[in-house]
Formats: sequence, structure tokens, C-alpha cells
Amino acid sequence: MTNLNAVDPAAVAQDAHLESADVVIGKNTIIFRRFMRNKTAVAGLAIFLTLTVFSFVGGYFTQWDKQTIDPFNIGMPPSAEHYLGTSQAGIDLYAMTVEGTRISILIGLIVGLVSVLVAAVYGCTMAYFGGKVDKVMLFILEALIMMPALLVVAVATSGGGEGLRRDLPSWLLLIIVLLVFSWMGTARLIRSLSMSLMQRDFVKAAQYMGVPARRIVWRHLVPNIGSLLVLDITRGVTGAILAEVAFSFIGIGIKVPDVSLGVLIGGATSQVQTFPWMFWVPLTVMFLLTGSLAMMNDGLRDAFDPSSSSSGSAKKRTALKARVKGNAS
Amino acid sequence: MSSEIAAGPVEQPQPAVERLHVADLHAPADAILSVRDLNVRFNTENGVVHAVRGVDFDLMPGKTLGIVGESGSGKSVTSLAIMGLLPTTAEVSGSVRLKGKELLGLSDKAMCEYRGNELAMVFQDPLSSLTPVYTVGNQIIEALTIHNPTMSKQAKEARAVQLLAMVGIPSPKERLRAFPHEFSGGMRQRVMIAIAIANNPRVLIADEPTTALDVTIQAQVLEVLHTAQEETGAAVVMITHDLGVVAGMADDIMVMYAGRPVETGAVDDIYYNPRMPYTMGLLGAVPRVDVAEKSSLVPIEGMPPNLIHTPTGCSFAPRCPLASDACLEGEPALAPVAGPAAHRAACIKSGSLGGDVDVHDVFAAPPVPVSRFDAIPREERSTVLQLKDVRKHFPLNKGALLKRRIGTVKAVDGLSFDIREGECFSIVGESGSGKTTTLLEIMEFHKDQDGEVVIGGISNKQAADGKTRSAMRRELQMVFQDPTGALDPRFTVYEVLAEPLENAGMNKADTKKRIMELMKLVGLQPDHVNRFPNQFSGGQRQRIGIARALAVNPKLVVLDEPVSALDVSVQAGVINLLDKLRAELGLSYLLVAHDLSVVRHISNRVAVMYLGKIVEIGEVDRVFDNPRHPYTRALLSAIPVPDPHLERTRERIILQGDLPSPLGTPKGCNFATRCPVFAALPAAKQEKCLTLEPPLEHVAPSPAAQTLAADPLPALDQRFACFFPDGELDEDMLVVHESADHHAP
Ligand SMILES: Nc1ncnc2c1ncn2[C@@H]1O[C@H](COP(=O)(O)OP(=O)(O)OP(=O)(O)O)[C@@H](O)[C@H]1O
Ligand code: SF4
Ligand code: SF4
Ligand SMILES: [Mg+2]
Repeated sequence: MTNLNAVDPAAVAQDAHLESADVVIGKNTIIFRRFMRNKTAVAGLAIFLTLTVFSFVGGYFTQWDKQTIDPFNIGMPPSAEHYLGTSQAGIDLYAMTVEGTRISILIGLIVGLVSVLVAAVYGCTMAYFGGKVDKVMLFILEALIMMPALLVVAVATSGGGEGLRRDLPSWLLLIIVLLVFSWMGTARLIRSLSMSLMQRDFVKAAQYMGVPARRIVWRHLVPNIGSLLVLDITRGVTGAILAEVAFSFIGIGIKVPDVSLGVLIGGATSQVQTFPWMFWVPLTVMFLLTGSLAMMNDGLRDAFDPSSSSSGSAKKRTALKARVKGNAS
Repeated sequence: MSSEIAAGPVEQPQPAVERLHVADLHAPADAILSVRDLNVRFNTENGVVHAVRGVDFDLMPGKTLGIVGESGSGKSVTSLAIMGLLPTTAEVSGSVRLKGKELLGLSDKAMCEYRGNELAMVFQDPLSSLTPVYTVGNQIIEALTIHNPTMSKQAKEARAVQLLAMVGIPSPKERLRAFPHEFSGGMRQRVMIAIAIANNPRVLIADEPTTALDVTIQAQVLEVLHTAQEETGAAVVMITHDLGVVAGMADDIMVMYAGRPVETGAVDDIYYNPRMPYTMGLLGAVPRVDVAEKSSLVPIEGMPPNLIHTPTGCSFAPRCPLASDACLEGEPALAPVAGPAAHRAACIKSGSLGGDVDVHDVFAAPPVPVSRFDAIPREERSTVLQLKDVRKHFPLNKGALLKRRIGTVKAVDGLSFDIREGECFSIVGESGSGKTTTLLEIMEFHKDQDGEVVIGGISNKQAADGKTRSAMRRELQMVFQDPTGALDPRFTVYEVLAEPLENAGMNKADTKKRIMELMKLVGLQPDHVNRFPNQFSGGQRQRIGIARALAVNPKLVVLDEPVSALDVSVQAGVINLLDKLRAELGLSYLLVAHDLSVVRHISNRVAVMYLGKIVEIGEVDRVFDNPRHPYTRALLSAIPVPDPHLERTRERIILQGDLPSPLGTPKGCNFATRCPVFAALPAAKQEKCLTLEPPLEHVAPSPAAQTLAADPLPALDQRFACFFPDGELDEDMLVVHESADHHAP
């Protein structure tokens, strides 16, 4: 245990060096380093990025697309011509998977990002204004939570929304419906969090220093909610991808001719025995997607958490040593 | 994992048993509680925390043992281990004997037989130790029922009333039916004591029973404990971090550090002849409320060790100024020192630390800093802050829908004072007296305030535009009570310190230079700027808070209880730093603190507040040495002093009751409901206190001094608001403990 309170001579001697050298590390660098220290999270990020890139450029590696029927290869297992085989109708599975992954990622990212954004704005507004505004907005929020999302999705994508369906592709419609029902929980969380943050001494300290309100919100409130937002984005993306799969699986989400992972999985369940590749390929992609997000989530939480012990690996090692000692005694 | 650890001590049971056996032979047969080689380990995520390591003591019937130490030194764990209240993750070994019967290893059910019966405990937090849904009477009666199933209902109620009366709760019969939330903190703590002594315990353990309370209430509660001990003849274990609290009431003291007793002995030996550097440091680290002479406090550098690592040498060595290589070779045992038989210390150099060794030499206390303003008379220095008749009233509303105004809380009621350059001005008073509200009013600095606030020549009445306001903000900065809450957990220290500088428009290169300067100024290592606040200790965090306040070179720093969240030894370092900065930078301080010893140590002038008004104001030594207002007198006499002789013979004013509720504020003098002078006044004079408000007036020099001096004497710097400053005190409120009754050999 070193003497932490005192300025020891060694440190004083180092001062000259410190003043010139670039000792100040930006916080983003610190967060980035912490994230990079978590191997699982980095692997998750790599998988997710690969899948995203694949979904956008993967189409160029084959001459087939999601609509063209190959009459000579119907329901064929993977081959040189069709990397992942073809469906019962003779459509290339590789092309469909690329397309489906893109739609799923698109739905996930858009729903995840936009819903958190809406939640942040809504929640902060409630906390900032308080009083009547808060009450009314809270009522709307509670009412939306009560609404059965499943029913609305079913109505919008199949029965009722005829007019809408004509003008919009089904994936866009699903995005809109998912968006409407995904932001409320986060909004409520953000509201209570920023309310308690506004009472904290460090916000008062900034006010007393004469820091303008806009800066306080940007520098103190947002970053403190920020880690929650980032976590919520990854969670929201995962949630949206899964919701799409679930809705499409029971037949009320994405409609053919649009493809998505959910549509592919849903369509193939009855044929697992006869055309196993039709089922396992999209399922694997879905697991890779959600799994990589979950892996990232963990690392992000650690990186943003100021109280995490990830300040280098020395600490962990000494703790381990102590434990070994404890065992020995 | 846990099983392996549990297996650890079992492998070598032989020596432990033998040691216990030997210890047993030496244990006095008449000890009511004997603790031998008590060890407590906790299995935590980070490893095994060895929280208590080899505590030994014997408690004689009717005697008081004080256990003293910093937070984390294992005081509470020791008491919980004796009570058998530790969680199951704790592994306890050793021996605890109550009247010769072994308590360790008893099942929870068997322990219940003793708990609340022969062994009773009072906890720190009176809020959480009473069940909110039952009446106070119910809870006392329940305690009686458990151990006396045959007692009749009437008898139990009569006993409950008797107990409440014993702990000084007025109209106890009616109060039986009150719920805990209807009681103030001090009263709840009395109820806790009543419950604890309900079954005439043989041993009463009090764990920081007064830490959460104001000094005046603390004095009341300590008095109640004293009475309770006399009535029941119980032996008391008093646990505290405040060396003053136990000085007057303990017979023996055990000083703990890092889970081990490092010095034990009779109270006088410990206070007047400490033989262990840590004890000496602790005694030198607390400022004294009764001493005017100014000397720096003794800072104990560093932090207590991490209990996960088994110490290989003296656990105090990293912080000990006397440490040498010999200290690192094995932990020194608690060995008898020359002199009184019972005095033992765990230090290899205790022999050379006699009574004539000055703690200031051992611990290299810094020299007393001298400010360039000290030589200039106060009147000739410029004013940095002036308050003129500042008021803050809160409406008191009732009803959820239709709010009815049922009264006004006069949190601050007509406050006027000024602070000059290079001066430290303090405001003291009980909680709820309006100290924090005063600070907030100053920080608010708004045109619509009731009253005028002038900061560095800028008045709040003309501070309409943003420019004047930001000019004023640069003159005035604040340090907060809770060092953790005041720092954004997501900011590195660099960002924390850069914020005010950037806000003042400083460029990047200068900001960096200034931050390095600041880090050095407050005694932190400059290369720690990339750390987050949670990687620092409490004292270091407060230093960061001070550095932030100093960043823009303010003239006045407002300090709201800057050291109350810190441990004694760390507190001394921060106080010394504040003192040094004031002298070096010519700063002025406005300090709010409930600890009057700290106030006396660092301030030049002081104001005593009661219910939103200043009742006495003046130069600090004058007010503390010659208090005129009855409230100041009571407040000062309530502060415990770490000096056993003085404590035992001191005359103490124990105020009755708590601060009156805002609705029950008296018409005339605010203090009349609790005033010890008022209570002793004849009815005719009482009338004056009840109808007229005493003005804040200067102390007139005594007639003798006036006739002696040829010229009219200048008025002394002390004013107070009381009609009968030197009146007789009511005898009921005066308490003196005869030193003889308590300390007969
Ligand atoms: N916002 C508010 N609304 C109503 N009453 C208030 C408000 N703020 C403070 N008060 C009241 O004003 C009085 C003074 O409070 P203040 O916080 O200034 O006391 P204090 O001396 O700082 O106490 P402590 O030592 O506990 O901090 C108290 O009676 C308190 O209840
Ligand atoms: S043993 Fe050494 S390090 Fe420990 S208290 Fe004594 S002198 Fe200091
Ligand atoms: S004016 Fe009367 S009631 Fe008030 S403090 Fe003086 S003696 Fe007590
Ligand atoms: Mg306060």
C-alpha cells in the first residue's frame, strides 16, 4: 500500500516530464480501451460487422437474386452453383439469406436507434418540465404500455391496413408498428433517472460555476444517461430482430415477396426433415446476430461503467493472489 | 471455493485451543463478558476479508469499555459477532463468554435466549431499528414478552411507562401509543435504549449511538445512557469514532486498527500516555473546542490497509512516521508497556514513546500557516461578501388537492453579516437551524430574493444580466459536503477540473497547465488526472472538490460541512490544507459545520444560528471562551472533549427537547421553549422573553474596564440576542458527574 495522500519525491521529480508529455488521456480513449480489453465483446463486434457487410455486399458474389426461379434446381441441397442450395420453389437460398439478413439488421438498427432516441427526448422532456406536462405525458405513456402490441401488428399488416399495405412495403410497416410499441419502458426509465440526476450535487456544482443549462444537460445529464442509452440500443436492436422473427414466424410480420430471417425460418419449419438447409441456415444467422449483440452488450456496460474495476489487469491478478494465499492458510 | 477456506483454520485447531485454554486461566473469574481471540472473516467476491483479527477483552460488571477506531477498523463487526448477528457468510472463531457460558457456536435460537435479555444492543440508526408500523409501546412490550412470557399485561404496560420515563420522554403514558415517525431522531434513540434495557441486561452494546444526532441531542442521549447504566448496573461496550464521546464515560479503552486492537488500557493511560503512534495520531488529529492556542492538526497520511491482504508486518507501518525495517518483520503483538499493568500496545517502539513525546514531533505536523492579511486589522480589509437582512420563508401547505397554507417555515429570518478578505467565517447551529438554506441563498444570487447579497462589490439587486452574474460566479465557489456526490462519476479528474476553466474561456494549453498546478496545490499526484473519482479515497475526493473550487481563483469559497463525511485522521489533512490555502492564496471562507471543534480550529469569526436567526456572532475565541447567549453556552457545553479528567468534572447544560416545529415557534425569543435561563427566571422577567424579540447587541465592556480607560473603549467584536445573558441556569438542566462515583478504584 503506497502513501496515496502525499506527493512523494518520485512524483515531484516526474513533474517536468508530466507537464510536457501528453499525460491526459481523453475519456473516449479510456472507454475504447476498456471495451477493447474485453475479448468477448470485441469478438461480438467483429461478428456483427461481418454480418452487416455480408448483407450489403454478399449479393455481388452470386448471379442469383431473391426472385429468380432456377427451374433446373428445385429444392436442391448446397452445391457449387447455389452455395446454400435452393428452396422448394427453386429460389437461391444464399440470395435470400443475404436479403433477409439485410432486412433484419435494418429493422433491428432502425427500431433500436429510433426508439431509444424517442425515449430519450420524451423522458428528458418529462423530467425537465415536470408538473402538468409530466403528468399528461406519463398518462399517454402508460396507456400505450397497456395496448396489446400483437393485436395491432396483426391488424396493421394483414386485415385492417389495406390502404397502408398498398403504399408501403411490409418491412417498413413492421418497423413503424414496432417503433410505436418499443420506446415506452426506456422513456420511463430515462425520466426517473434524469430526475434524480438533477438533484445531485455535481449538477448543482456546475450550476454554481455558471455553466449554462444547455451545457449541463449535454455534459452531465446525457453522458450519465448515455451508458444506459447505449445499452438500450443494443438491447433494442436484439429485441427488434427477435420481434420481427416472432411476428413473421406466426405470419403477421413481413409478407412475401419481402424476405427476412423470420420469413425464412417460418417458411422452413415444416420442412426441417426434407430441406434441412432451408431451416438451419437462417436460424444460424439469427443466432449469430443476436449472440454477437449480447456479447457486445456486456463489454459496453463495462466500458461505460466508471465503477468497473477494469483499470488494467494488475488489480485482478493481486486479488487472485490473495485468494490463493487465503486458500493456503 | 468457500469450503476450501472454511477448511483453512480447521487444519490447525491445536494451537488455537491451547491458546484459549491458557487465556481462560488468566481471565478474571468475575468478568461478565470475556472475549478471547475473536476472529471474523468474510468471503467476498474479491477474496477473504479478515475483518476482525484477534480481539481480546474482559468486561467487568458495571464498567464501560470504549472501542475506538476509524471506519472499517472492525468495531461494528466485533459487536455483531458478540451478539451473534453476523450474516452466514461470516466465519467466526475464538471465544465469547457471557458469565462463563460460551456464546460462539450457539444456534440462532439459542442466542435469542440471550439477545435482548442479558445482552442488549443499541444501533447507530434509530430510524431503521424501530418498526414503523407498530406503536412504540407495542415494541417495548414485545421486548418484555419474549423474555417474560408470564408477566401480566398490566405489569408490562407499567414497566413500559417506567422505561420511557427513565429515558426522559415526557408524558410517557400517552407516548406509548405514538408511532416511531412521530418521534424525532433523538427520541427514537431513547426508545431504542428503553427497549435495550427493558430486561435489565448485564451487557449493553452501543454502536455509535449518537453519530446521527446533533451535539445537543447527543448530550441528552449520552446522559440517558449514563442513567440507564446506573439504574441497571449493566456493563457497557461503547463503540465510537469520536474520542471525545468516550472520554467521560469509559473506564477502559480499546483502540482498533485494521481489525486488530492496537492499544488497550485504562482511559487515562490511553489519553494522557499513549504508547502507539496510531493512538497518538488520532488524539492529535482532533481539534479541541476548549483550546484557543493555534497549532496544526496531526494528519495521518494514507489510508487504512486493505483487509484482503494478510499483513506481514505492522499494519500501520505504511502510515507510521516512525516505521523502520524492523516494523515490517511480523506483526507486533499486543504487549504490556512499562507502567500500569493493564496498559498494552502493539508497537515495537512503544518503550520509547513515553508521556513526554510530543505528537507534533512524531507526525511532522506542518507549521501554522500565516496569512498576509493576519497583520492587517479587520476594519481595513475589503469586504468580499455582505448579507443585508436576507430572508427565506417557505410556505407550509397541507392537503393534496386544495392546498391550504397553514403556516410559514422561516428557514432564514433576517440575516446580516459580512466577510472580509482573508477571513474564515463560520455558521454553526443544530440541524434545521437554516445553515444550508443560508448558503443556498448566497449561491442563488437572484434579483427577486428578499434581502441584499453583495459579492465582491456586486449586489444581487443589480445582477440582471448574465455578464455580472458570471463575474460574480468567478468570485465565489463552493465545496460540497459529500465529496462523492459532488463529482460527476463519469468525469475523469481532468474533466472535473477543466469544466470551470473552459467555462471561463481558458484555452487548452493553459487549462492543462493550470490543472497540473491545482493537483499539486491540493496535494494530489498530477499523474492521477486520468482517474475517475471512484478510484480515490474520500479525503482525496474532497481535495479534488477543493481544487475545482479554486480553479478560477475565487476570492471566497463556500464550504458546506467539508469534512463531516471524512474519517478523523483524514479530516485533519483536509483541515490543514484548507488552512494552508487560506493563508497562501489570501482566500476567504464561509464555512458551515456542525462540529464546533473544527469551527474553532479554522475560523476567525463565528455566528451561532437558531431557527433562522443569528443569536450570537463575533470573534471565535471570544464567543467560545466567553459565550453569552444561553444557546451558545449549551451548545459549547455539549461538545465532548477528548480529555477524561475534564470530561468527568465538566458542568454540562443538557437542553430539554428538540428544535420546536416551525408552527410552534414562540412569539418573543425563539429560544424560550428550551432556554435554561428562561426556566429559572421569575415569572415577571419571563414575560419579557415571551413578548419581545431580543435584538442582536454588542457586548458592553464591563463598567470597571470603562472607568479605567480614559477614552471610550471600542465595542468588542461579539454580539448576542438575549435579555438575560448572565442569568442563573435552571438546575434541572445542569449535569455534573462526580468523578469519584465513576472511578473509584
Ligand atoms: N424546500 C423547503 N421547503 C420547506 N421547508 C424547507 C425547505 N428547505 C428547508 N426547509 C426547512 O428550513 C429549515 C432549515 O433547513 P436547513 O436545511 O437550512 O437546515 P440545516 O441547518 O442546514 O440542517 P442540517 O444540519 O441538517 O443540514 C428546516 O426547518 C427545513 O425543514
Ligand atoms: S510497530 Fe513500527 S510501524 Fe508499527 S506503529 Fe510501531 S513504530 Fe509504527
Ligand atoms: S431572551 Fe430570554 S428566552 Fe431568550 S435566550 Fe435570553 S433568557 Fe432565554
Ligand atoms: Mg444542512
